[in-house]
Amino acid sequence: MPSTAIEVRGVDKYFGRFQALDKLDLTVRTGQVAGFLGPNGSGKSTTIRVLLGLLRADAGSVGLLGGDPWRDAVTLHRRLAYVPGDVTLWPNLTGGQAIDLLGRLRGGLDPARRKDLLSRFELDPTKKARTYSKGNRQKVALVAALASDAELLILDEPTSGLDPLMEAVFTECVLEAKAQGRTVLLSSHILSEVEKLCDTVTIIRKGRSVESGTLDDLRHLTRSAVRATVSGDARALEGADGVHNLRIDGETVTFDVDNTHMDAAMRTLTGLGIRSLVSNPPSLEELFMRHYGDELAALNGNGDGNGSAAV
Amino acid sequence: MSAFTGTGTLVRFILRRDRIRLTVWTLALVGTVVATIPALNDMFSTDAQRQARAALMDTPTGIVFGGPGYGLDDYQLGPMIVNELTMSMLIALAVMSILHVIRHTRAEEESGRAELLRASVLGASAQMTAALVTVSLVNLLIGGLTTLVLVGNGLETADSVAYGLGLALAGISFGAITAVCAQIVEHGRSAAGLAFLAVGVLFMSRVVGDMAEDGGNALSWLSPFAWGQQTRMFDDLRWWPLALYAVLIVVLFALTYALAKRRDLGAGLVASRPGPAGAGRLLGSTFALHLHQQRGAVVAWTAATFLFALSFGSLATEVEAMLEENPDLVAMLGNAPGDATKGFLGVMGGYVLMAASAYAAISVLRTRTEETSGRAELTLSAAVGRVRWFGNALLVSMLSSALIVVMGGLGMGLSASAALGDSSWTWTMTGAALAQLPVALLFAALAALLMGAAPRLIPLVWVWLGYSLLASMLGAILGLDEWLMNLSAFELLPKLPSEEFDAVPVAVALGAVLVVSAVALAGFRRRDLASV
Repeated sequence: MPSTAIEVRGVDKYFGRFQALDKLDLTVRTGQVAGFLGPNGSGKSTTIRVLLGLLRADAGSVGLLGGDPWRDAVTLHRRLAYVPGDVTLWPNLTGGQAIDLLGRLRGGLDPARRKDLLSRFELDPTKKARTYSKGNRQKVALVAALASDAELLILDEPTSGLDPLMEAVFTECVLEAKAQGRTVLLSSHILSEVEKLCDTVTIIRKGRSVESGTLDDLRHLTRSAVRATVSGDARALEGADGVHNLRIDGETVTFDVDNTHMDAAMRTLTGLGIRSLVSNPPSLEELFMRHYGDELAALNGNGDGNGSAAV
Repeated sequence: MSAFTGTGTLVRFILRRDRIRLTVWTLALVGTVVATIPALNDMFSTDAQRQARAALMDTPTGIVFGGPGYGLDDYQLGPMIVNELTMSMLIALAVMSILHVIRHTRAEEESGRAELLRASVLGASAQMTAALVTVSLVNLLIGGLTTLVLVGNGLETADSVAYGLGLALAGISFGAITAVCAQIVEHGRSAAGLAFLAVGVLFMSRVVGDMAEDGGNALSWLSPFAWGQQTRMFDDLRWWPLALYAVLIVVLFALTYALAKRRDLGAGLVASRPGPAGAGRLLGSTFALHLHQQRGAVVAWTAATFLFALSFGSLATEVEAMLEENPDLVAMLGNAPGDATKGFLGVMGGYVLMAASAYAAISVLRTRTEETSGRAELTLSAAVGRVRWFGNALLVSMLSSALIVVMGGLGMGLSASAALGDSSWTWTMTGAALAQLPVALLFAALAALLMGAAPRLIPLVWVWLGYSLLASMLGAILGLDEWLMNLSAFELLPKLPSEEFDAVPVAVALGAVLVVSAVALAGFRRRDLASV
């Protein structure tokens, strides 16, 4: 088994003149849960459709489970299961029929796991698909995907219609899939979900990957928030490299520090005599905001609510 | 807020949304009237020619597509328009009105757009009312313009008004029938099917009634197709049959509102029941999936075609009876009575082919809906090759249209056999229908080609189908040149049983079906799937 499940290098995709993907890179190692983050319209679903061989890349190379998804679609699809972001089903099939049909078209599903998933997701399989809400249609696709033996799960914003209880069930299911050694590509714009589940994260913006690595790697690239109580004069930190937003209130000092300068900042603090210290690692939200912050600023600046910085 | 709040806004919205669609319908229908008049004057310029034509209109085929035949004694322009043009106009108005009402009622509910609108300041009956108001407006516009065209050509004003009004009221009646159907079932597609079935039954009821008795019997009077011509315009005008339209329309509108009150938005009168919790053994392949998706439509189209064919075939005795009464007709239609019957059944067999061709195109293009809805994406993300998915869809469509053709031919043959007491008609008619099957398959292949290789050009299928229907039904009256007639798909192959079977064009057509289908599959293999 190759150690890389997904290997996308420098992929371009145009729709007419519109460039949807711009030299996109994405790597997912076998057995990992990989987060694929970006706001609406940034190219997540387009990337997934290229990975499924539904769209052909205009440039670059795409490797999926050691094959070419455009050429070897059918053989590769036996080994993966996909949950679209907006699930549409056949209105006159029941949920149960749709699950079985999708399972059989993929090459079979595990009946015991199907039954277990139906009860965990509280899905009534006897209802016609036309009567299902968005969340229930998503559950149908999720049950069909998770009950299969696919070694790769491609999930495109799978929880966008689920309530918090069902999101928790979904989280459990993905962790189980990971424990079984399956690879998961999880596209999302729900940061807490990605933070909870993913080993690695790729952040995409306007069709280009702007950041990728493990969460820890990425955290190194950004700032932590520090709050400390010291006996000495905290003004010693003023002007120190990598220290931002310094606020001193009596003996309490708060500041943000670039992780690359954490060590120096800590030494300075130690010299001042630390009595208490809290340091928070950057949240994924902060990582994300760093890449989309300018869009948000532009939105706030001109009051135009039509932008795409839906975070 | 009353139940009708917002109707005016919605009426303007519908007219705005459908401005092109409704303009095209109006221009096409009024344009047909405008173009037919000089063609009729041209083709039947002397009294002798006109009376010869009138005799032809008194034959079974003439009654099916002409009507009860008022004014045939003195066949001038007015009666010619009434007899030659009315049924085509009524059928076209029925199609327009059915599609319009479904589009703005059931289809809106199905898509969820109705919900968005109903959540705003909008009365519960506003959408239905707006659909009925607009369908009435466009029918009245077409009827009014037709009246103006007739008056402009020097015809009597009162009779011209009766003609235009008769068309408009019939069109509105078809819209009202559709509105009732839209209350009964949940889906736009099935509501349209129900409405087409109802209109088809009403058409047949007039045909059978008019055949049985000169000027029609009680069966004719059951049908809105009859009432307009029953005013005997351009012959001996009487207005009261138009009142039947008014009564029907009021009753159907009232029924629609009464039914609408008894149901929820988006629901039918018949609630959907829970289904199986898992798929049966057979539902495990793309072929089974396509078949499962289409079986309702296939059964409905096949049953409808079979029933129409049965009723047309049974008219064969009427044909013989007429020929016995009127030996001149035999000379006119062919040398032997048998030839005349063959000619009649051959023409009717053409309609079976038209139904099968329309179904073939509709059925193949369901794959486009699968694609744009995102269902194809889900299916193709499984271990399903594109060629297999699309090829199976094409196969299901072709088998379905073959079934419609065979059952149509069989129905006509069975009832003709029974009527004439000669069982050989069963095989003659089934074989005749099968010999034309490649035309229906061509429509399936063409639809597949556009879907596979150039989805933006899909409307071309409808252009060719529409042109072929128009040319084959009205080409003779419009005096189309031979090369224009030959562009009609329904003129490609010999029409059995009155014409001889010729293997060459049939083989060429089948070859074309295979080649076009192969190109279609290759095209679909190569292109990007549409994104939702």
